[in-house]
Amino acid sequence: MPLSARGRQVAGDLRGATSGVSAGVLGCEIARHDELCVGCGRCVSACPTGAMRQDDWFDPAQLFSAPAGTGRGALAAALRRIARHEPRGPFRVPDRVRTFRDILFSADLCAGCGACVRACPTGAVEALPVPVGDVEVAPRGLAPVGAGT
Amino acid sequence: MNVPAVATPEATAPAVAAPEASPPAVAAPEARVPQARVPELGASDVTVSEVIADSADGERSIIAFLCRECAYSAADAAGNARTPLPPTIRTIMVPCTGRVSPLHLLAALADGADGIYVAGCLEGQCHYRVGNFHALDRVAFVRRLLESVGVEPERAAMFTMSAADTPRFVATARGMDATISRLPRLPRS
Repeated sequence: MPLSARGRQVAGDLRGATSGVSAGVLGCEIARHDELCVGCGRCVSACPTGAMRQDDWFDPAQLFSAPAGTGRGALAAALRRIARHEPRGPFRVPDRVRTFRDILFSADLCAGCGACVRACPTGAVEALPVPVGDVEVAPRGLAPVGAGT
Repeated sequence: MNVPAVATPEATAPAVAAPEASPPAVAAPEARVPQARVPELGASDVTVSEVIADSADGERSIIAFLCRECAYSAADAAGNARTPLPPTIRTIMVPCTGRVSPLHLLAALADGADGIYVAGCLEGQCHYRVGNFHALDRVAFVRRLLESVGVEPERAAMFTMSAADTPRFVATARGMDATISRLPRLPRS
């Protein structure tokens, strides 16, 4: 599944870092673009297997890679003006602050269903098709039709 | 933002195009007139630099975000009673402290304030149920954020008080003023 129009537009302004690529077993690989993430947590609520999780910690360095023109970018711009050194983190986030939390992604739990991609409002989660030759047939769960006969 | 420039079109008509957009120097003489009204967050286009524009050179400035239901009433009563308050305190009224986001606090520091504090209702007495709890945690978050980039976390604080507790408002304002006076002015790039 390609990036959304908004995600493409914002990604165009970036250095183009990609992180957290996982091999999904259902349909696709999930790639997260941390610098586009606004921490809303919709991917976490959408995930059926618990592969996406909101952490209790936040790494302020993530703010500094946010694109200008977004809320996180504005926050980073203000912080950069008064900063004495590069941000040192991560630190624990108070309970009621929900958006400034690292999103943890466990590749081994991910089924590759793409629910997080549809839920993401900024196009920070991308689903990449698995190359046909790499597809393992049913590595766990049901055996493929015709197997063992 | 550019209102002062619009107000005097004839006087500066020939040269309006260039200076209008860029320098705060043009707007400074008008902005330095102390403001009688209290800017309300979201209801006006007042910026932090305008709010603190009349502070003397080298004087600290502290932005106080006051809840309309509680802390602002306390501040109002302090004003009516002519209680002397530190000249560094600038107040901004908010409908509820739950409206204040980390961006408001950090932008205030980045735009010229040396300290900020949020004053809201007592725990459990927020008129919108949980706004002050959200503000408490956001201020705590901002303090950790400041700490992570090497800025003193004491520059941000949160207090709670009832609408009738004028002495507490005065005490917190003076306490904050004392804290910020001990710190150097906040350097900016």
